[in-house]
Amino acid sequence: MVLEVEHLVKTFGAFRAVDDISFSVAEGEILGFLGPNGAGKTTTLHLILDLVTPTSGAIIILGRPLKTERSAALQDVGFSSPYVSLPYRLTVLENLKVFAHLFGVERPTERIDYLLKLFQIEDLKKQAVAQLSSGQVTRVGLCKAFLNSPKLLLLDEATASLDPQIAHEVREVLLTAQREEGVSILYTSHNMAEVEKMCPRVIFLNHGRIVAEGSPVDITRAILKEEREEPALEEVFFHMMRQPNV
Amino acid sequence: MKLHRILAVVRRHLYDMRRNLDRVNDSFFWPILDVLIWGLFTVYLSDRLEQGFTFVNFLLGAIILWGVFYSFQRDLAMGFLEELWSRNLINLFSTPLTIWEYISGLLLVNLLKTAFGFFVAATIAGLLYHFNVFSLSVYFLPFVLILFVFSLSIGFLITGFIFRYTTRVQTVAWSFAGVLQPLSCVMYPLSTLPMWLQRVAWFFPTTHVFEAMRQLLAGGGFSMEHFWWGLLLSVGYLTLSIVFFKIIFEITRARGLLAKLA
Repeated sequence: MVLEVEHLVKTFGAFRAVDDISFSVAEGEILGFLGPNGAGKTTTLHLILDLVTPTSGAIIILGRPLKTERSAALQDVGFSSPYVSLPYRLTVLENLKVFAHLFGVERPTERIDYLLKLFQIEDLKKQAVAQLSSGQVTRVGLCKAFLNSPKLLLLDEATASLDPQIAHEVREVLLTAQREEGVSILYTSHNMAEVEKMCPRVIFLNHGRIVAEGSPVDITRAILKEEREEPALEEVFFHMMRQPNV
Repeated sequence: MKLHRILAVVRRHLYDMRRNLDRVNDSFFWPILDVLIWGLFTVYLSDRLEQGFTFVNFLLGAIILWGVFYSFQRDLAMGFLEELWSRNLINLFSTPLTIWEYISGLLLVNLLKTAFGFFVAATIAGLLYHFNVFSLSVYFLPFVLILFVFSLSIGFLITGFIFRYTTRVQTVAWSFAGVLQPLSCVMYPLSTLPMWLQRVAWFFPTTHVFEAMRQLLAGGGFSMEHFWWGLLLSVGYLTLSIVFFKIIFEITRARGLLAKLA
């Protein structure tokens, strides 16, 4: 397993943000991580990145417990979110060089050139991050996430600020990376159609707990209690919102 | 601790310095301006008071050493604030980079900046006022070391507060040294203060540094007493500040504030 999460709990005072969840991500798997705002998705991602310490439970990345082998475990993890940014006075190239050196990437210039081309932003190389659109910054963030050739990629709303064409191309790049390099991806998104396309397996979180797990179509059938041939995660989402106790 | 990760933090701040006029101003413009203004003022006063060259030396030495202390503690906190302002903290700490590697990188880059600022200010003082700090460097260096250690502990303290209370307390990065300055007897001897305040001032390593500097420049030789007091106090404060910072950092992670900072 690339990622194993065991009985993870995170409380903030009396509030249980993550309530005893366990799941795993296999090699080359794309796992969708869904749920309404405040369900505990981002907190779980932050726990996996060791930005937040868990109240209890364990996180194991490629056999390395995060608690005791943090640096070694995070060496093989990439992360991207449109809600974080990069030093805005630095150029795209400078930012990527800094992160390449943080990960100890061999031949960083070659790797950066390859990724800039992959995400079609090679012409932005010498531009300061402050001059970029939010969509362009997102793509730079994705380049950063791929710099260390990660075995586990944590993507928080990876396509949220991209136009449909670029979002489609980014999805293709992610699927290619998953096929060719065997990257495992934990993917959070509010775009249900995107998740249906990208993720063979999905976990639904609500109130910090896993309320459903399985393929998009299995979850659709289980939650809506109807025989369906096609997944309908958006309907599932609305159904859950109408039933606060789910 | 991995050197390549520490150097990556240094690289990040050196890239920033190339385009950040604020940081260039902080490191060079203000120290130069201080030396020019206070140098001219003390030359004028010395002529009037006929106290001779020592008086100019007292003030120029004080200005240059205080500049070292102030810029080092401020830039440590500023380096961290830069990450907050650019929402880069999550990116940094989602890599294998540890907090101590990050702090080491900041320390290294600020040592370079402060040393360069010190060199420029000291050179100007030498050229314009014939105050040669380099000729006294053997005696000055131990006190510069004490200033670095104490400013590092202040840097840890302030950065800890910013971790916990975010940019709401960011002005502390600029203003904290201002509170310390009158108590550190930078421009005047300790005996100038009222007796009760002298007892308080004695517990600041900076007081011992500036007392020792005045003794040295007045021809009284190297003060072992001030050196040991300064060193023990600064090492003590550094130890306490590291413990404080470690506790604050863990609280910040436990409460999820590190993620929210970004």
